Formats: sequence, structure tokens, C-alpha cells
Amino acid sequence: MVHFDPFDHAFHDDPYAVYRALRDEAPVYYAAPYKLWVLSRYDDCSRAVRDFKSFINKYGVSIDEAKEQMPTVLTVDPPDHTRLRHLMAGMFTPEAVQPLEASVRTMARELLAPFLETGKVDIIGDFAARLPMAIICRLLGFPREDEDMLRNWTDLVVQRDEAATEMPQHAIDATLKLFDYFEKHMAERARKPARDDLVAHLMASEKAGKLSHQEVLGYLYILSIAGNETTTKLIGNITYQMHRNRDQLELLLNDRSLMADAVEETMRYDGPTQLMGRGVGRDIEYHGQTIKEGERIALLFMSANRDERHYPDADVYDINRRARDHLGFGGGLHACLGAALARLEAKVAFEEMLDVMPDFIVDEGGLKRMHAPSVRGYTHVPVTFKPVQGVRVA
Amino acid sequence: MPNVTYIEANGTEHEVDVIEGCSLMEGSILNEVPGIIGLCGGICSCATCHCYIGPQWAARLSPPSEGELAMLERASDRRPESRLGCQIAVTQELDGMVVRLPEHQSTGDN
Repeated sequence: MVHFDPFDHAFHDDPYAVYRALRDEAPVYYAAPYKLWVLSRYDDCSRAVRDFKSFINKYGVSIDEAKEQMPTVLTVDPPDHTRLRHLMAGMFTPEAVQPLEASVRTMARELLAPFLETGKVDIIGDFAARLPMAIICRLLGFPREDEDMLRNWTDLVVQRDEAATEMPQHAIDATLKLFDYFEKHMAERARKPARDDLVAHLMASEKAGKLSHQEVLGYLYILSIAGNETTTKLIGNITYQMHRNRDQLELLLNDRSLMADAVEETMRYDGPTQLMGRGVGRDIEYHGQTIKEGERIALLFMSANRDERHYPDADVYDINRRARDHLGFGGGLHACLGAALARLEAKVAFEEMLDVMPDFIVDEGGLKRMHAPSVRGYTHVPVTFKPVQGVRVA
Repeated sequence: MPNVTYIEANGTEHEVDVIEGCSLMEGSILNEVPGIIGLCGGICSCATCHCYIGPQWAARLSPPSEGELAMLERASDRRPESRLGCQIAVTQELDGMVVRLPEHQSTGDN
């Protein structure tokens, strides 16, 4: 009988065999200790993300024990959700984020430069953990010198000790610090001429009566957290998969135009977001099992992405697959708002890596994994490569 | 609220009210009209809200952006009147609009 425990640290090493067993033996699974229903097949998850009346967000999207939710774009349902999402959707299209490419590239080069002559770098600690927060700070308009502090807090928000099924104290403390920072930052801004960034846009929306102050804070919170850790983990995961699948790395090195496809396949095959929680908004039936309104349910996006009922050879990492319908960024009205930015950052980050370390090897003994029920990836990905003499100017 | 009629490829018509400011994609999803997927949630990244807008209504819309045109390259059964529903905001001026939906939404090469 299949056993699924997303809080079990040992499970995080390789969840895919369990996902397969869930899809085959228990497509509607009940994790009794967490009072949590689980859907794992592609067709079921894909139907669920489109059914916003049956799968609701107002009780949150984590599978931690449900607590009162702050109103963010992730934790409200239509029509409030529609209003919140509209404020930002136009700023996160591929066309809108494209002008950031030069900044992402410059930052990536600056971050890699100190390591080129050593032939060693921790792709997460020295590089991928720093890049997304730098870009988010730039988008939001937070000072660059605050980056490390903010990243430390956002890391604490998501970090979980083993068996912790509710938000731990360190995460609550870090959340309060972030809110305090946002308040002070906005108070300071209010005294100065308006700038052109996301904080300015949110403040103007509040002034125009389109957003409450709580909603502004919630938006800043979600923008700071959501795009940070997952993008870091994506860069780590593409590095690891290319190391493990040298034939795919060769393909990419021979044809760099495949880079966007490689990012896409990594999101399908080994995307950081494993699952999302939902509340059941009305009685539903899946595979003959009725699930009652008010229950909690998890959508296993990474299992859906490996569903052989949908993808031929689903367990093969194939950068020529070009599947655009994967659920690596979720899907439907709540699909990842920052997906285009994440795609851009991962693509540029890995391009810059390949430029200077095409022969990189991951030191597998030094890999360290993070542990969280919903996000999977590494905290350390040490790589070695042939040292590059002379540091390039960015 | 503006009224929009979505017509599925098989001819089934859905006449619905759409909250002003919502996109045509959201208008169909929120009213549970089949035929539009909206996988990316409206950030012009998937082409699964592909629809056809006749010339009489297209004339009242801003022309597609470069980003929308680039994404439309991915749509199957693309025609001159092809648009992405997520990039068209429904306003009162579009009351009575008719939107035709393709037989399939393209979801990649596989």
C-alpha cells in the first residue's frame, strides 16, 4: 500500500517512485495524519486548476495546518483575486520582463566573476541564491544593500524543521520583520517623489482606492517570497540535471538556441514546486471518491508532470520535448505570476554558467537538500570546472 | 456588465456577463465556458486562450502587441482574426461582442 508523507525528509531525496505509486494505485489518496486529500495524475490536476469553484485558495495554498490567511493574490478567490492579479499581470508578461535581461546578465556575471580563477563555485550559495533576490529588489525598488537581509528573512519564512506541520516561530518572526520593513520603506517613500517601480505602483493603487493597505503588504510579501526561493532552486535543478544527463548538456552546448527548451523541460521534469494546497469549495468526485466541501486537498504538480498517461517516456529528461502544458508553474487563474521572469532568470543564469564553465561537474558528495513539503531543491550545489584566467568585465 | 457571446467550434453559444476590466480569457473561465484553457493565468505565456475576433469587433480593440503576436505563433489553426483572450480587456464598449473559439488549444509539441 502506497504511503505518502510530504513532511518526511527521507522522502524528499526521491519522491518520484512514490508519485508513480500514487498515480497507479491511489489517484485519490488520503493522508490521514494531515487530513489531506491528494491528486497526482496529470488529467486530474489539470482539471483541478481550471475548476476554481471546487478548488479554492482562501484557506491558503500550503499544506501546513490551515491558519488565518493574509489576503494575497495567492490566498483569495475571484472576484477579489481577479482585481489583485490585474494590478500586476501586465508587468509580468514575457514582453514586460524582457528589458530586465541585461540586468540579470550583468548580475550573473558579477556573481560568477570571483570564482572563475578558482574553478570552484557553489551554484546555490554563491550564485543562484543571490540572483533572484537582486532582481526582485530591483523590480520592487528596495535598496541593493538590503538584499542580504531580506533574503535571510524570506529564507526563514519558508524553512521548516522535520515534522513541523505548522508555521514555526522563526518563520513568524521573519514575517513580522518583513512587514515592518515594508511599512518603513513605504513611509520613507511617501515623503519623497514617486518612482517607477512595483512599490510605487502598489502605493498608487492604494491611494486610488483599488487596494487596501493590508493587500499592499500582502502583495509585497508574496512578491518577495514567491519568486525568490523557487527560482534559486530551478537554477540548482537545471545544473544538477545537466550534470546527470550529459547527453542533454552536449545537445545544449552544440545548439544554445535550445536553452529556453531546456529550462522548460527542467520545469516539467524537476520543477521546484512539488505541490500546491487548495480548499475544497464544493463537493467533488474524483475516481468514484466523493470529497466534501471544506476538506483540504493537495495537487501534486510534479507527479502530474511525470504522468506517463500524458507524457511519453515521462521519466526521461529530454530538452527537445517542448511540452508547454506542464504544471511546473501551476496553471489556470492562479498560475505563477512570475513565470516569465523565472524563465528569463534561469535561462540567462545557465547561459552565463555555460559561457565560463561548459565542462562543469557537480560534486555530488557536497550536495545538500532543503526540506519543505512543497518546494524541492538544493541548498548547496558545489561544482568544479576548468579555471578561467582573467576576469571578464561585465 | 458587458455581455459577451462565446461560440465553441461546434457552434454551441454561451452568452455571459463579464465583469468590466476582466480579460476575455477570464470572462470565459469565470463563467465556466469551455474551449479556453488559460494555462498561464493571463501573462501572455501559453497561447491556450486563443480565440477569433471578427473584423467588426477587432476594429474596436488595440492591435496585438509584439508579445501577443509572438505567442500566437504557437497557436494551432491560427487565422488573421486570431487573438489571445488574456490580452483583451472587456469594457462596456465591447457589450454584445462575439468571440469564436478554436477546436483545440495548442499545448506544445507533445
